[in-house]
Amino acid sequence: MTKLNRRTLLKTGVAGFAASSVLGTPLIAQTRSLKIGSYGGYFEDSFKEFVYPAFTDATGIAVESVTQPNSTDWLVTMQQATAAGSVPADLSLYARDTLIKASRIGGLLKPLNLSAMPAAGNLDPYFVFESPEGALGVGAMSWFTAMVINPGEVEAPASWAEFWDSSIYEASLGLSRNYNSQFLDIVAATFFDGEATFKTDEGILALIEKAAEIKPNVALWWSAESQMEQSMKNGDVIGGQYYLDVANLMAADGFPIKPVFPKEGNPQDYGSWCLSSLSDKADEAAEFINFSSDPATQALMSRKIGTAPLLDQSKTDLTDEEFAFVSGTPSIRPAYEAYLDKETFIKESWDKMLAGA
Amino acid sequence: MTAVERIAADTADRPARERLTPRRILPWLLSAVIGVLCVVPFLLVIAISFGRKIEGAAWVWDFTLENYERFFVGALWPDEVTFLYLQQLGFSFWYAVVASLLAVMTALPFTLLLTGLSRRAQAAWLAFILSSLSLSEVFIVMGWDILLSNNSGLPALFKSTGLTQWLKDVGWFQTLRDWGLASPRNVKFKTSQFATILTMSYLVWPYAVILLFPALSRLDRSQSEAARTMGAGGWTVARTVILPAIRLPLFGSTLLLFVFLLGTYVAVTVFAAPAQHTTAVAIYTNIRGANLNAPFGATQAVILLISAGVCLGLGHRLNRWAEAR
Repeated sequence: MTKLNRRTLLKTGVAGFAASSVLGTPLIAQTRSLKIGSYGGYFEDSFKEFVYPAFTDATGIAVESVTQPNSTDWLVTMQQATAAGSVPADLSLYARDTLIKASRIGGLLKPLNLSAMPAAGNLDPYFVFESPEGALGVGAMSWFTAMVINPGEVEAPASWAEFWDSSIYEASLGLSRNYNSQFLDIVAATFFDGEATFKTDEGILALIEKAAEIKPNVALWWSAESQMEQSMKNGDVIGGQYYLDVANLMAADGFPIKPVFPKEGNPQDYGSWCLSSLSDKADEAAEFINFSSDPATQALMSRKIGTAPLLDQSKTDLTDEEFAFVSGTPSIRPAYEAYLDKETFIKESWDKMLAGA
Repeated sequence: MTAVERIAADTADRPARERLTPRRILPWLLSAVIGVLCVVPFLLVIAISFGRKIEGAAWVWDFTLENYERFFVGALWPDEVTFLYLQQLGFSFWYAVVASLLAVMTALPFTLLLTGLSRRAQAAWLAFILSSLSLSEVFIVMGWDILLSNNSGLPALFKSTGLTQWLKDVGWFQTLRDWGLASPRNVKFKTSQFATILTMSYLVWPYAVILLFPALSRLDRSQSEAARTMGAGGWTVARTVILPAIRLPLFGSTLLLFVFLLGTYVAVTVFAAPAQHTTAVAIYTNIRGANLNAPFGATQAVILLISAGVCLGLGHRLNRWAEAR
């Protein structure tokens, strides 16, 4: 989710421009069309430049791009629009937790016809979200939050546990301040039983207690991505958690940052295509999702947008270098359900831990 | 005039009074605009503060006092009690009080000196200070962020001049580490209360000068001169003549800056550690982000507003009491 926010926050200017250019686009007199939402800014621009034209060439279906601010706020917009009887987009891009929220609220999403999108079979089944009504979302792309270090100051740790070592990292790390920004998933994978630990309140409190032990080593609890970027560049922090693709971009620009895949791995999050319950473009949407799930399109997105593909590297034509730029193993899967079921409990306990209250 | 005549005269008057002239419409129009733009959103916030959050989904309209209860004792009450939100409110007040006092205390001697300058110099200084108000909070925070950064700011200066090494040699470096103002490598000023308060008082310093300037420029200089001829020292003059004369504007400026600083967001997010975050930051994390708990955010906003109101009321009381004495 933070990733989506950062895309928007950082490039609001671009997003505004993109939105205005959508309005300015003359309606193309084509019989088949589809309105697709994506996060405004860099994301949407890349989609409009590389993905949608390729799709229109392949299928003849015209795409009208719709700017989403992010997942959660867009869900609120779509909820109100659905109640009003007219929605701004056929397909929306939702992060997994928002998708689960939408399925719980009910009546917002239309089940997808998986048989009309054979290429979706290429994806890891984890990326197809099934509910009792049917498949509500098919993965679009994913991203990692990685361990990063300043290679000029420290050696690459073999495990996340090394970040708890105050003799190296006292007052030197940058971690995300939000309770659901996957640091707890890292703690669970490093010291506990992973997602299973989130099942009980005691498990969650144990995770937060372990997270509290790292506090003396944290110089920055960042809320906006740019804070962490600046702190890494300025040498205010020498390690922490940060987005894999941006870390690689910064490293390519010569800044002292290196993403690391320790033995526990890094958290992986992803976005899904979801069809509005009011849309009558189910066939066109199925064709688009089929196109998006194609290994060639997944590779195109990795190269042009910096997202991780949702299928094995062997199925794509990505080189090892290209693949390592956007992905890695192992991946830590966030405990989405627990974050939603115990939202207030986790947030308040986490905030209490941070505040020492 | 008989009663009947009076009634007749009234009736004759009435059509004239009810005619819709622009002068009659304007106040109503303005009231409507103020109502729509200020009162309605305000009432909305109060109404939302009674809403109910649904776990794992959004929130719904309701009438529950749970959010207010949570503010004082936490969501897990009665099993567990936390004063997290009161602590945040405390920090809101702490930062605002210290930063506004600091700003007024440093602006006072500056403005006093300013009033002694020539008119041309005064105008130049005031224009400069006014223009600095066009810098937004974000710009100012960004500037201080760079000034306090390890590779480009004060810590870099400490390191290159050998001050860091000297601190390490005499053993004071460990004290700084204990205070959270150093990492094993160098001094660090972010995140700290020092950086937060410094930036906040910098933020309102131009306001302090502008608020104090009219009162100080009207100050009757012959009084202090008279005191001096009678043998009073500079400090005695300031304490017994100048300060009492500008007591009211001084108090008013501090109060105004204090209220202004209660809602500071950017400086606190960037420069304060989460352990010292304020209610303003907490409001934002509840309303925005994945949580979408607008009711609790609204509750915190209402309580912050009430607390600020109480402070202003007390300030007013104090003022009147001081006047009466």
